[in-house]
Amino acid sequence: MFTHTPLRLTTLATLAIGALAYAFVAGFFGLEILAEIAILAILVIALDLVAGFGGMLSLCHGALLGVGAYAFTVAAKDAGLSAFPAMVLAVALSAALAFVIGAVCARSIGIYFIMATLAFGQMAYSFVFQSPLFGGDDGLSGAPRPDLTAIGIDLTDSRAFAIYAIALVALTYLVAASTLRSGLGRSLVGLHHNEKRLRALGLTVWRAKATAFAISGALAGLAGCLAAQHTQYISPGLLSWTVSGEALVVVILGGLGTLAGPIVGAILFVVLKHEISAITPYWHAIVGLILIAVVMSRANGVFGYVEARMAARAAKPTLEKAKADA
Amino acid sequence: MLETRALNKSFGAIHVTKGVSLRLEKGERRVILGPNGAGKTTLFNQLVGELTPNSGSIHLDGADITALRVADRARLGLSRSYQKNTLFDGLTIGENLGLSAAVALGKGQGLWRDPLQSAEVRETVKEVAAQVDLAPLLAMPVNAVSYGIRRQLEVGIALSTRPKFILMDEPTSGVGPEMSKGFHRLLKALPRDLTVLIIEHDMDLAFDVADTITVLNYGEVVFDGLPGAARDSQLLKDIYLGAWEDA
Repeated sequence: MFTHTPLRLTTLATLAIGALAYAFVAGFFGLEILAEIAILAILVIALDLVAGFGGMLSLCHGALLGVGAYAFTVAAKDAGLSAFPAMVLAVALSAALAFVIGAVCARSIGIYFIMATLAFGQMAYSFVFQSPLFGGDDGLSGAPRPDLTAIGIDLTDSRAFAIYAIALVALTYLVAASTLRSGLGRSLVGLHHNEKRLRALGLTVWRAKATAFAISGALAGLAGCLAAQHTQYISPGLLSWTVSGEALVVVILGGLGTLAGPIVGAILFVVLKHEISAITPYWHAIVGLILIAVVMSRANGVFGYVEARMAARAAKPTLEKAKADA
Repeated sequence: MLETRALNKSFGAIHVTKGVSLRLEKGERRVILGPNGAGKTTLFNQLVGELTPNSGSIHLDGADITALRVADRARLGLSRSYQKNTLFDGLTIGENLGLSAAVALGKGQGLWRDPLQSAEVRETVKEVAAQVDLAPLLAMPVNAVSYGIRRQLEVGIALSTRPKFILMDEPTSGVGPEMSKGFHRLLKALPRDLTVLIIEHDMDLAFDVADTITVLNYGEVVFDGLPGAARDSQLLKDIYLGAWEDA
Protein backbone atom coordinates (compact mmCIF):
# COMPACT_ATOMS: atom_id res chain seq x y z
CA MET A 1 0.00 0.00 0.00
CA PHE A 2 1.13 3.53 -0.74
CA THR A 3 2.63 5.38 2.23
CA HIS A 4 4.67 8.51 2.67
CA THR A 5 7.84 7.21 4.27
CA PRO A 6 10.23 9.77 5.79
CA LEU A 7 12.60 9.08 2.90
CA ARG A 8 9.91 9.88 0.34
CA LEU A 9 8.87 13.08 2.10
CA THR A 10 12.49 14.19 2.42
CA THR A 11 13.09 13.47 -1.25
CA LEU A 12 9.99 15.39 -2.30
CA ALA A 13 10.84 18.37 -0.12
CA THR A 14 14.43 18.39 -1.40
CA LEU A 15 13.27 18.18 -5.01
CA ALA A 16 10.73 20.97 -4.55
CA ILE A 17 13.17 23.32 -2.82
CA GLY A 18 15.96 22.42 -5.25
CA ALA A 19 13.76 23.01 -8.29
CA LEU A 20 12.48 26.36 -7.01
CA ALA A 21 15.96 27.51 -5.99
CA TYR A 22 17.28 26.51 -9.41
CA ALA A 23 14.40 28.32 -11.12
CA PHE A 24 15.52 31.57 -9.48
CA VAL A 25 19.16 31.33 -10.49
CA ALA A 26 19.08 29.47 -13.79
CA GLY A 27 19.65 31.08 -17.17
CA PHE A 28 17.35 30.67 -20.17
CA PHE A 29 18.66 27.25 -21.15
CA GLY A 30 18.40 25.93 -17.59
CA LEU A 31 14.82 27.16 -17.33
CA GLU A 32 13.90 25.43 -20.58
CA ILE A 33 15.30 22.20 -19.19
CA LEU A 34 13.40 22.70 -15.96
CA ALA A 35 10.14 23.06 -17.88
CA GLU A 36 10.99 19.97 -19.94
CA ILE A 37 11.63 17.99 -16.76
CA ALA A 38 8.33 19.22 -15.27
CA ILE A 39 6.33 18.09 -18.31
CA LEU A 40 7.97 14.67 -18.27
CA ALA A 41 7.54 14.43 -14.48
CA ILE A 42 3.78 14.99 -14.77
CA LEU A 43 3.52 12.32 -17.47
CA VAL A 44 5.51 9.74 -15.49
CA ILE A 45 3.63 10.37 -12.24
CA ALA A 46 0.46 9.70 -14.23
CA LEU A 47 1.96 6.52 -15.67
CA ASP A 48 3.32 5.29 -12.33
CA LEU A 49 -0.17 5.60 -10.84
CA VAL A 50 -1.57 2.93 -13.16
CA ALA A 51 1.58 0.99 -14.12
CA GLY A 52 3.55 0.98 -10.87
CA PHE A 53 0.66 0.66 -8.45
CA GLY A 54 -2.05 -0.95 -10.57
CA GLY A 55 0.13 -3.16 -12.76
CA MET A 56 -1.47 -1.68 -15.87
CA LEU A 57 1.52 -1.09 -18.14
CA SER A 58 0.26 1.42 -20.67
CA LEU A 59 1.69 2.28 -24.05
CA CYS A 60 -0.91 4.95 -24.78
CA HIS A 61 0.11 7.65 -22.32
CA GLY A 62 1.92 9.51 -25.10
CA ALA A 63 -1.37 9.57 -27.01
CA LEU A 64 -3.24 10.80 -23.94
CA LEU A 65 -0.67 13.57 -23.56
CA GLY A 66 -0.98 14.39 -27.25
CA VAL A 67 -4.77 14.51 -27.09
CA GLY A 68 -4.47 16.97 -24.21
CA ALA A 69 -2.01 19.10 -26.17
CA TYR A 70 -4.14 19.15 -29.32
CA ALA A 71 -7.41 19.69 -27.47
CA PHE A 72 -5.86 22.59 -25.59
CA THR A 73 -4.42 24.19 -28.70
CA VAL A 74 -7.61 23.83 -30.72
CA ALA A 75 -9.83 25.03 -27.88
CA ALA A 76 -7.62 28.02 -27.10
CA LYS A 77 -6.68 29.04 -30.62
CA ASP A 78 -9.59 28.06 -32.87
CA ALA A 79 -12.50 28.02 -30.42
CA GLY A 80 -11.26 31.16 -28.74
CA LEU A 81 -11.44 29.93 -25.15
CA SER A 82 -9.06 31.51 -22.70
CA ALA A 83 -6.24 29.30 -21.50
CA PHE A 84 -7.63 27.92 -18.23
CA PRO A 85 -11.06 26.82 -19.54
CA ALA A 86 -9.24 25.32 -22.52
CA MET A 87 -6.99 23.38 -20.13
CA VAL A 88 -10.00 22.09 -18.19
CA LEU A 89 -11.60 20.98 -21.45
CA ALA A 90 -8.41 19.28 -22.66
CA VAL A 91 -7.87 17.48 -19.35
CA ALA A 92 -11.51 16.33 -19.35
CA LEU A 93 -11.19 15.01 -22.90
CA SER A 94 -8.02 13.05 -22.07
CA ALA A 95 -9.75 11.67 -18.96
CA ALA A 96 -12.82 10.60 -20.94
CA LEU A 97 -10.71 8.90 -23.58
CA ALA A 98 -8.64 7.17 -20.88
CA PHE A 99 -11.83 5.97 -19.17
CA VAL A 100 -12.98 4.33 -22.39
CA ILE A 101 -9.54 2.78 -23.01
CA GLY A 102 -9.39 1.59 -19.39
CA ALA A 103 -12.89 0.09 -19.55
CA VAL A 104 -12.20 -1.77 -22.79
CA CYS A 105 -8.74 -2.98 -21.75
CA ALA A 106 -9.82 -3.90 -18.20
CA ARG A 107 -10.47 -7.49 -19.21
CA SER A 108 -6.99 -8.10 -20.50
CA ILE A 109 -3.87 -8.34 -18.42
CA GLY A 110 -0.10 -8.40 -18.92
CA ILE A 111 1.16 -8.35 -22.48
CA TYR A 112 -2.40 -8.23 -23.86
CA PHE A 113 -3.14 -5.11 -21.87
CA ILE A 114 0.03 -3.48 -23.20
CA MET A 115 -0.89 -4.39 -26.78
CA ALA A 116 -4.46 -3.12 -26.41
CA THR A 117 -3.27 0.23 -25.05
CA LEU A 118 -0.69 0.41 -27.85
CA ALA A 119 -3.45 -0.12 -30.41
CA PHE A 120 -5.55 2.67 -28.89
CA GLY A 121 -2.54 4.97 -28.83
CA GLN A 122 -1.71 4.31 -32.46
CA MET A 123 -5.34 4.89 -33.45
CA ALA A 124 -5.23 8.32 -31.82
CA TYR A 125 -1.86 9.02 -33.45
CA SER A 126 -3.01 8.17 -36.97
CA PHE A 127 -6.24 10.09 -36.52
CA VAL A 128 -4.40 13.27 -35.56
CA PHE A 129 -1.77 12.65 -38.23
CA GLN A 130 -4.34 12.15 -41.03
CA SER A 131 -7.01 14.63 -40.11
CA PRO A 132 -6.82 17.99 -41.91
CA LEU A 133 -8.41 19.58 -38.84
CA PHE A 134 -5.19 19.26 -36.89
CA GLY A 135 -2.63 20.36 -39.46
CA GLY A 136 -1.50 16.79 -40.19
CA ASP A 137 2.22 16.33 -40.39
CA ASP A 138 2.83 20.08 -40.03
CA GLY A 139 1.32 20.22 -36.57
CA LEU A 140 -0.22 23.30 -35.03
CA SER A 141 1.38 26.39 -33.66
CA GLY A 142 0.23 29.27 -31.54
CA ALA A 143 -0.95 27.61 -28.35
CA PRO A 144 -1.20 30.44 -25.83
CA ARG A 145 0.19 30.48 -22.31
CA PRO A 146 -2.26 31.36 -19.53
CA ASP A 147 -2.56 35.08 -18.87
CA LEU A 148 -1.73 35.74 -15.22
CA THR A 149 -0.82 39.41 -15.65
CA ALA A 150 -3.78 40.29 -13.43
CA ILE A 151 -1.78 38.93 -10.47
CA GLY A 152 1.48 40.31 -11.77
CA ILE A 153 2.85 37.12 -13.33
CA ASP A 154 3.99 37.09 -16.93
CA LEU A 155 4.12 33.48 -18.12
CA THR A 156 5.83 34.44 -21.38
CA ASP A 157 8.88 34.91 -19.20
CA SER A 158 10.67 31.56 -18.99
CA ARG A 159 11.44 31.92 -15.27
CA ALA A 160 7.78 32.46 -14.42
CA PHE A 161 6.82 29.62 -16.75
CA ALA A 162 9.27 27.21 -15.10
CA ILE A 163 7.87 28.01 -11.66
CA TYR A 164 4.33 27.58 -12.99
CA ALA A 165 5.38 24.18 -14.40
CA ILE A 166 6.84 23.16 -11.03
CA ALA A 167 3.54 24.14 -9.38
CA LEU A 168 1.68 21.87 -11.81
CA VAL A 169 4.03 18.98 -10.94
CA ALA A 170 3.19 19.55 -7.28
CA LEU A 171 -0.54 19.57 -8.10
CA THR A 172 -0.13 16.35 -10.10
CA TYR A 173 1.70 14.68 -7.25
CA LEU A 174 -1.03 15.68 -4.79
CA VAL A 175 -3.76 14.29 -7.06
CA ALA A 176 -1.86 11.01 -7.54
CA ALA A 177 -1.02 10.62 -3.86
CA SER A 178 -4.55 11.36 -2.68
CA THR A 179 -5.93 8.93 -5.27
CA LEU A 180 -3.61 6.24 -3.93
CA ARG A 181 -4.79 6.88 -0.38
CA SER A 182 -8.46 6.70 -1.39
CA GLY A 183 -10.62 3.61 -1.57
CA LEU A 184 -10.00 3.45 -5.30
CA GLY A 185 -6.23 3.65 -4.78
CA ARG A 186 -6.32 0.87 -2.19
CA SER A 187 -8.35 -1.29 -4.60
CA LEU A 188 -5.93 -0.45 -7.41
CA VAL A 189 -3.00 -1.85 -5.43
CA GLY A 190 -5.12 -4.86 -4.50
CA LEU A 191 -5.96 -5.44 -8.18
CA HIS A 192 -2.25 -5.57 -8.96
CA HIS A 193 -1.83 -8.37 -6.43
CA ASN A 194 -5.02 -10.36 -6.80
CA GLU A 195 -7.78 -9.36 -9.16
CA LYS A 196 -9.74 -12.59 -8.74
CA ARG A 197 -10.01 -12.20 -4.99
CA LEU A 198 -11.15 -8.58 -5.21
CA ARG A 199 -13.89 -9.62 -7.59
CA ALA A 200 -14.96 -12.32 -5.16
CA LEU A 201 -15.07 -9.65 -2.44
CA GLY A 202 -17.53 -7.61 -4.49
CA LEU A 203 -15.44 -5.09 -6.43
CA THR A 204 -16.64 -4.09 -9.90
CA VAL A 205 -13.20 -4.55 -11.37
CA TRP A 206 -13.63 -2.90 -14.77
CA ARG A 207 -14.99 0.28 -13.22
CA ALA A 208 -12.16 0.57 -10.71
CA LYS A 209 -9.60 0.07 -13.47
CA ALA A 210 -11.31 2.52 -15.84
CA THR A 211 -11.63 5.20 -13.16
CA ALA A 212 -7.98 4.87 -12.18
CA PHE A 213 -7.01 5.01 -15.85
CA ALA A 214 -9.17 8.14 -16.30
CA ILE A 215 -7.42 9.94 -13.43
CA SER A 216 -4.07 8.97 -14.89
CA GLY A 217 -5.26 10.10 -18.34
CA ALA A 218 -6.36 13.45 -16.95
CA LEU A 219 -2.86 14.01 -15.57
CA ALA A 220 -1.29 12.96 -18.88
CA GLY A 221 -3.62 15.45 -20.57
CA LEU A 222 -2.38 18.14 -18.17
CA ALA A 223 1.19 17.31 -19.20
CA GLY A 224 0.03 17.77 -22.79
CA CYS A 225 -1.40 21.22 -22.07
CA LEU A 226 1.87 22.23 -20.45
CA ALA A 227 3.86 20.83 -23.38
CA ALA A 228 1.74 22.85 -25.84
CA GLN A 229 2.19 25.99 -23.76
CA HIS A 230 5.90 25.41 -23.41
CA THR A 231 6.92 25.07 -27.05
CA GLN A 232 3.78 26.75 -28.43
CA TYR A 233 4.03 24.31 -31.30
CA ILE A 234 2.70 20.75 -31.36
CA SER A 235 3.06 17.92 -33.83
CA PRO A 236 1.59 14.40 -34.12
CA GLY A 237 4.92 13.08 -32.82
CA LEU A 238 3.63 13.90 -29.31
CA LEU A 239 1.10 11.07 -29.64
CA SER A 240 3.65 8.60 -30.90
CA TRP A 241 4.10 5.37 -28.99
CA THR A 242 7.78 6.21 -28.54
CA VAL A 243 6.68 8.97 -26.14
CA SER A 244 4.83 6.30 -24.13
CA GLY A 245 7.83 3.99 -24.31
CA GLU A 246 10.13 6.73 -23.13
CA ALA A 247 7.80 7.47 -20.22
CA LEU A 248 7.87 3.81 -19.25
CA VAL A 249 11.68 3.86 -19.39
CA VAL A 250 11.71 6.88 -17.07
CA VAL A 251 9.33 5.24 -14.59
CA ILE A 252 11.48 2.09 -14.50
CA LEU A 253 14.67 4.14 -14.25
CA GLY A 254 13.25 6.05 -11.27
CA GLY A 255 11.40 3.22 -9.51
CA LEU A 256 8.00 1.69 -10.30
CA GLY A 257 5.30 2.19 -7.71
CA THR A 258 7.11 4.82 -5.65
CA LEU A 259 5.62 8.01 -7.12
CA ALA A 260 8.67 10.03 -5.99
CA GLY A 261 11.00 7.75 -7.97
CA PRO A 262 9.65 8.62 -11.42
CA ILE A 263 10.25 12.33 -10.69
CA VAL A 264 13.88 11.46 -9.93
CA GLY A 265 13.85 9.42 -13.14
CA ALA A 266 12.55 12.38 -15.14
CA ILE A 267 15.34 14.62 -13.84
CA LEU A 268 17.99 11.99 -14.58
CA PHE A 269 16.61 11.28 -18.03
CA VAL A 270 16.37 14.89 -19.20
CA VAL A 271 19.72 15.91 -17.70
CA LEU A 272 21.48 12.83 -19.12
CA LYS A 273 19.89 13.44 -22.49
CA HIS A 274 21.21 17.01 -22.64
CA GLU A 275 24.61 16.25 -21.16
CA ILE A 276 25.31 13.18 -23.26
CA SER A 277 23.88 14.59 -26.49
CA ALA A 278 26.34 17.47 -26.11
CA ILE A 279 29.16 14.91 -26.31
CA THR A 280 27.81 12.36 -28.76
CA PRO A 281 24.79 12.10 -31.06
CA TYR A 282 24.40 8.48 -29.88
CA TRP A 283 22.95 9.50 -26.54
CA HIS A 284 20.11 6.96 -26.88
CA ALA A 285 22.66 4.16 -26.79
CA ILE A 286 24.21 5.49 -23.58
CA VAL A 287 20.80 5.92 -21.93
CA GLY A 288 20.01 2.39 -23.10
CA LEU A 289 23.13 1.04 -21.43
CA ILE A 290 22.22 2.83 -18.20
CA LEU A 291 18.71 1.40 -18.33
CA ILE A 292 20.07 -2.12 -18.86
CA ALA A 293 22.41 -1.65 -15.90
CA VAL A 294 19.52 -0.48 -13.71
CA VAL A 295 17.28 -3.38 -14.75
CA MET A 296 20.08 -5.94 -14.38
CA SER A 297 20.90 -4.67 -10.89
CA ARG A 298 17.48 -6.06 -9.83
CA ALA A 299 16.82 -2.87 -7.93
CA ASN A 300 13.51 -1.08 -8.40
CA GLY A 301 15.13 1.81 -10.24
CA VAL A 302 17.40 4.44 -8.77
CA PHE A 303 14.98 5.56 -6.08
CA GLY A 304 13.90 1.99 -5.32
CA TYR A 305 17.56 1.12 -4.80
CA VAL A 306 17.97 3.90 -2.24
CA GLU A 307 14.74 2.85 -0.51
CA ALA A 308 15.89 -0.76 -0.29
CA ARG A 309 19.29 0.28 1.11
CA MET A 310 17.67 2.52 3.72
CA ALA A 311 15.21 -0.24 4.69
CA ALA A 312 18.07 -2.73 5.04
CA ARG A 313 19.94 -0.31 7.27
CA ALA A 314 16.86 0.33 9.38
CA ALA A 315 16.17 -3.41 9.76
CA LYS A 316 19.68 -4.25 10.92
CA PRO A 317 19.41 -3.31 14.63
CA THR A 318 16.46 -5.66 15.23
CA LEU A 319 18.31 -8.53 13.57
CA GLU A 320 21.34 -7.92 15.74
CA LYS A 321 19.11 -7.69 18.76
CA ALA A 322 17.47 -11.01 17.86
CA LYS A 323 20.92 -12.57 17.57
CA ALA A 324 21.94 -11.12 20.91
CA ASP A 325 18.76 -12.46 22.49
CA ALA A 326 19.35 -15.93 21.06
CA MET B 1 -31.35 -19.59 2.50
CA LEU B 2 -29.07 -20.94 -0.24
CA GLU B 3 -30.48 -23.40 -2.72
CA THR B 4 -29.46 -25.14 -5.92
CA ARG B 5 -31.94 -26.83 -8.23
CA ALA B 6 -30.84 -29.62 -10.57
CA LEU B 7 -27.43 -28.09 -11.22
CA ASN B 8 -25.42 -29.59 -14.08
CA LYS B 9 -21.94 -28.78 -15.28
CA SER B 10 -19.79 -30.51 -17.87
CA PHE B 11 -16.30 -29.89 -19.10
CA GLY B 12 -16.45 -31.45 -22.55
CA ALA B 13 -17.37 -35.09 -22.07
CA ILE B 14 -16.73 -35.00 -18.33
CA HIS B 15 -19.91 -34.50 -16.34
CA VAL B 16 -18.67 -32.88 -13.12
CA THR B 17 -21.92 -31.79 -11.51
CA LYS B 18 -24.90 -34.09 -12.03
CA GLY B 19 -28.30 -32.76 -11.07
CA VAL B 20 -27.19 -31.38 -7.71
CA SER B 21 -30.05 -30.02 -5.61
CA LEU B 22 -29.17 -28.65 -2.20
CA ARG B 23 -30.99 -26.50 0.28
CA LEU B 24 -29.29 -24.73 3.17
CA GLU B 25 -31.44 -23.02 5.78
CA LYS B 26 -30.33 -19.80 7.40
CA GLY B 27 -27.72 -20.52 10.07
CA GLU B 28 -27.18 -24.08 8.92
CA ARG B 29 -23.66 -25.48 9.02
CA ARG B 30 -23.15 -28.03 6.32
CA VAL B 31 -20.09 -30.01 5.44
CA ILE B 32 -19.60 -31.41 1.94
CA LEU B 33 -17.61 -34.62 1.87
CA GLY B 34 -16.45 -36.58 -1.09
CA PRO B 35 -13.34 -38.13 -2.59
CA ASN B 36 -10.96 -36.20 -4.82
CA GLY B 37 -12.57 -35.35 -8.13
CA ALA B 38 -16.11 -35.63 -6.76
CA GLY B 39 -16.89 -32.12 -8.02
CA LYS B 40 -16.89 -30.28 -4.70
CA THR B 41 -14.84 -27.26 -5.77
CA THR B 42 -16.64 -27.13 -9.11
CA LEU B 43 -19.91 -26.89 -7.19
CA PHE B 44 -18.47 -24.02 -5.11
CA ASN B 45 -17.30 -22.21 -8.21
CA GLN B 46 -20.83 -22.35 -9.58
CA LEU B 47 -22.32 -21.12 -6.31
CA VAL B 48 -20.11 -18.00 -6.27
CA GLY B 49 -20.34 -17.41 -10.01
CA GLU B 50 -16.81 -18.24 -11.11
CA LEU B 51 -18.32 -20.98 -13.29
CA THR B 52 -21.66 -20.97 -15.07
CA PRO B 53 -23.70 -24.17 -14.84
CA ASN B 54 -24.91 -25.80 -18.06
CA SER B 55 -28.38 -26.12 -16.57
CA GLY B 56 -30.19 -25.70 -13.30
CA SER B 57 -30.44 -22.68 -11.05
CA ILE B 58 -29.02 -21.16 -7.87
CA HIS B 59 -31.15 -19.20 -5.41
CA LEU B 60 -30.16 -16.92 -2.57
CA ASP B 61 -32.92 -15.96 -0.13
CA GLY B 62 -35.46 -16.90 -2.78
CA ALA B 63 -33.95 -14.79 -5.59
CA ASP B 64 -32.53 -16.50 -8.66
CA ILE B 65 -28.84 -15.53 -8.79
CA THR B 66 -27.78 -17.94 -11.55
CA ALA B 67 -27.14 -15.09 -14.00
CA LEU B 68 -25.41 -12.76 -11.52
CA ARG B 69 -21.71 -12.12 -11.75
CA VAL B 70 -19.18 -12.90 -9.02
CA ALA B 71 -19.02 -9.36 -7.61
CA ASP B 72 -22.82 -9.00 -7.60
CA ARG B 73 -23.24 -12.24 -5.66
CA ALA B 74 -20.56 -11.11 -3.20
CA ARG B 75 -22.51 -7.92 -2.57
CA LEU B 76 -25.54 -10.03 -1.64
CA GLY B 77 -23.52 -11.43 1.26
CA LEU B 78 -22.00 -14.52 -0.33
CA SER B 79 -18.36 -14.96 0.62
CA ARG B 80 -15.84 -17.70 -0.03
CA SER B 81 -12.39 -18.87 0.90
CA TYR B 82 -10.18 -20.80 -1.49
CA GLN B 83 -8.59 -24.22 -1.29
CA LYS B 84 -5.38 -22.65 -2.59
CA ASN B 85 -4.45 -19.45 -0.73
CA THR B 86 -5.65 -16.44 -2.71
CA LEU B 87 -4.21 -13.49 -0.80
CA PHE B 88 -2.84 -10.02 -1.54
CA ASP B 89 0.75 -11.08 -1.39
CA GLY B 90 2.65 -7.79 -1.31
CA LEU B 91 0.56 -6.37 1.53
CA THR B 92 0.50 -6.82 5.30
CA ILE B 93 -2.03 -9.03 7.07
CA GLY B 94 -3.81 -5.92 8.36
CA GLU B 95 -3.96 -4.41 4.86
CA ASN B 96 -5.33 -7.69 3.49
CA LEU B 97 -8.20 -7.63 5.98
CA GLY B 98 -8.68 -3.87 5.69
CA LEU B 99 -8.85 -3.89 1.90
CA SER B 100 -11.32 -6.78 1.96
CA ALA B 101 -13.53 -5.07 4.52
CA ALA B 102 -13.34 -1.76 2.63
CA VAL B 103 -14.40 -3.36 -0.65
CA ALA B 104 -17.21 -5.27 1.02
CA LEU B 105 -18.44 -2.06 2.64
CA GLY B 106 -18.63 -0.45 -0.80
CA LYS B 107 -15.64 1.81 -0.16
CA GLY B 108 -13.50 0.24 -2.87
CA GLN B 109 -14.18 2.94 -5.46
CA GLY B 110 -14.27 6.02 -3.23
CA LEU B 111 -12.07 8.95 -4.22
CA TRP B 112 -11.80 11.01 -1.07
CA ARG B 113 -11.27 9.20 2.20
CA ASP B 114 -8.79 6.50 3.06
CA PRO B 115 -11.03 3.53 3.88
CA LEU B 116 -8.26 1.86 5.89
CA GLN B 117 -8.56 4.72 8.39
CA SER B 118 -12.35 4.58 8.67
CA ALA B 119 -13.77 3.47 12.02
CA GLU B 120 -15.96 0.81 10.41
CA VAL B 121 -13.09 -0.87 8.58
CA ARG B 122 -10.73 -0.70 11.56
CA GLU B 123 -13.39 -2.22 13.80
CA THR B 124 -13.96 -5.07 11.32
CA VAL B 125 -10.22 -5.72 11.00
CA LYS B 126 -9.90 -5.88 14.78
CA GLU B 127 -12.81 -8.28 15.18
CA VAL B 128 -11.84 -10.58 12.33
CA ALA B 129 -8.20 -10.62 13.44
CA ALA B 130 -9.36 -11.79 16.87
CA GLN B 131 -11.62 -14.43 15.27
CA VAL B 132 -8.86 -15.97 13.17
CA ASP B 133 -6.19 -15.46 15.80
CA LEU B 134 -4.07 -12.97 13.85
CA ALA B 135 -4.36 -9.91 16.10
CA PRO B 136 -0.64 -9.70 17.02
CA LEU B 137 0.45 -10.14 13.38
CA LEU B 138 -1.43 -7.37 11.59
CA ALA B 139 1.74 -5.48 10.63
CA MET B 140 3.45 -8.56 9.17
CA PRO B 141 3.81 -8.72 5.38
CA VAL B 142 1.93 -11.72 4.02
CA ASN B 143 4.93 -13.09 2.14
CA ALA B 144 6.93 -13.23 5.38
CA VAL B 145 4.59 -15.50 7.36
CA SER B 146 4.17 -19.27 7.50
CA TYR B 147 1.74 -21.32 5.43
CA GLY B 148 -0.50 -21.94 8.44
CA ILE B 149 -0.87 -18.23 9.12
CA ARG B 150 -1.62 -17.61 5.47
CA ARG B 151 -4.32 -20.28 5.77
CA GLN B 152 -5.86 -18.42 8.73
CA LEU B 153 -5.76 -15.20 6.73
CA GLU B 154 -7.47 -16.94 3.81
CA VAL B 155 -10.49 -17.56 6.05
CA GLY B 156 -10.09 -14.12 7.65
CA ILE B 157 -10.45 -12.37 4.29
CA ALA B 158 -13.67 -14.28 3.63
CA LEU B 159 -14.98 -13.31 7.08
CA SER B 160 -14.00 -9.65 6.76
CA THR B 161 -16.86 -9.05 4.34
CA ARG B 162 -19.31 -9.76 7.19
CA PRO B 163 -21.09 -12.30 4.99
CA LYS B 164 -24.51 -13.89 5.40
CA PHE B 165 -23.29 -17.04 3.64
CA ILE B 166 -19.75 -18.31 3.81
CA LEU B 167 -18.33 -21.07 1.64
CA MET B 168 -15.00 -22.50 2.77
CA ASP B 169 -13.02 -24.75 0.48
CA GLU B 170 -10.91 -27.11 2.59
CA PRO B 171 -9.95 -24.48 5.13
CA THR B 172 -7.65 -26.82 7.03
CA SER B 173 -5.92 -28.40 4.06
CA GLY B 174 -2.21 -28.70 4.68
CA VAL B 175 -2.20 -27.56 8.30
CA GLY B 176 -1.30 -29.54 11.40
CA PRO B 177 -3.71 -31.05 13.96
CA GLU B 178 -3.20 -28.16 16.42
CA MET B 179 -4.33 -25.61 13.87
CA SER B 180 -7.17 -27.87 12.84
CA LYS B 181 -8.44 -27.81 16.41
CA GLY B 182 -8.14 -24.05 16.47
CA PHE B 183 -10.22 -23.98 13.36
CA HIS B 184 -12.95 -26.08 15.02
CA ARG B 185 -13.07 -23.48 17.79
CA LEU B 186 -13.30 -20.67 15.23
CA LEU B 187 -16.21 -22.38 13.49
CA LYS B 188 -18.09 -22.98 16.72
CA ALA B 189 -17.65 -19.33 17.70
CA LEU B 190 -19.12 -17.98 14.45
CA PRO B 191 -22.46 -16.21 14.80
CA ARG B 192 -25.33 -18.70 14.77
CA ASP B 193 -27.19 -16.88 11.99
CA LEU B 194 -24.28 -17.22 9.53
CA THR B 195 -24.92 -19.96 6.99
CA VAL B 196 -21.78 -22.05 6.52
CA LEU B 197 -20.88 -24.47 3.77
CA ILE B 198 -17.54 -26.25 4.11
CA ILE B 199 -15.70 -28.64 1.85
CA GLU B 200 -13.65 -30.94 4.03
CA HIS B 201 -11.56 -34.05 4.02
CA ASP B 202 -11.25 -34.03 7.79
CA MET B 203 -13.98 -36.41 9.02
CA ASP B 204 -13.60 -35.31 12.64
CA LEU B 205 -14.35 -31.76 11.66
CA ALA B 206 -17.34 -32.88 9.68
CA PHE B 207 -18.83 -34.82 12.57
CA ASP B 208 -17.81 -32.20 15.14
CA VAL B 209 -19.19 -29.01 13.65
CA ALA B 210 -21.71 -29.97 10.99
CA ASP B 211 -25.45 -29.72 11.45
CA THR B 212 -25.86 -31.64 8.22
CA ILE B 213 -23.63 -33.51 5.82
CA THR B 214 -23.77 -33.83 2.04
CA VAL B 215 -21.65 -36.42 0.28
CA LEU B 216 -20.74 -36.00 -3.36
CA ASN B 217 -19.42 -38.83 -5.51
CA TYR B 218 -18.76 -38.52 -9.25
CA GLY B 219 -20.63 -35.23 -9.25
CA GLU B 220 -23.78 -36.63 -7.68
CA VAL B 221 -25.29 -36.15 -4.24
CA VAL B 222 -25.20 -39.64 -2.75
CA PHE B 223 -25.99 -38.69 0.81
CA ASP B 224 -27.75 -35.76 2.39
CA GLY B 225 -28.58 -35.88 6.09
CA LEU B 226 -27.54 -35.69 9.72
CA PRO B 227 -23.98 -36.48 10.84
CA GLY B 228 -25.21 -39.41 12.93
CA ALA B 229 -26.82 -41.02 9.92
CA ALA B 230 -23.71 -40.35 7.84
CA ARG B 231 -21.53 -42.09 10.39
CA ASP B 232 -23.66 -45.21 10.21
CA SER B 233 -24.20 -45.12 6.48
CA GLN B 234 -22.78 -48.14 4.71
CA LEU B 235 -22.89 -46.24 1.43
CA LEU B 236 -20.66 -43.52 2.82
CA LYS B 237 -18.26 -46.07 4.20
CA ASP B 238 -18.04 -47.77 0.85
CA ILE B 239 -17.34 -44.73 -1.25
CA TYR B 240 -15.50 -42.50 1.14
CA LEU B 241 -13.97 -44.53 3.91
CA GLY B 242 -13.61 -47.74 1.99
CA ALA B 243 -10.16 -46.93 0.76
CA TRP B 244 -8.98 -46.22 4.30
CA GLU B 245 -10.49 -49.36 5.83
CA ASP B 246 -8.98 -51.52 3.14
CA ALA B 247 -5.60 -50.00 3.76
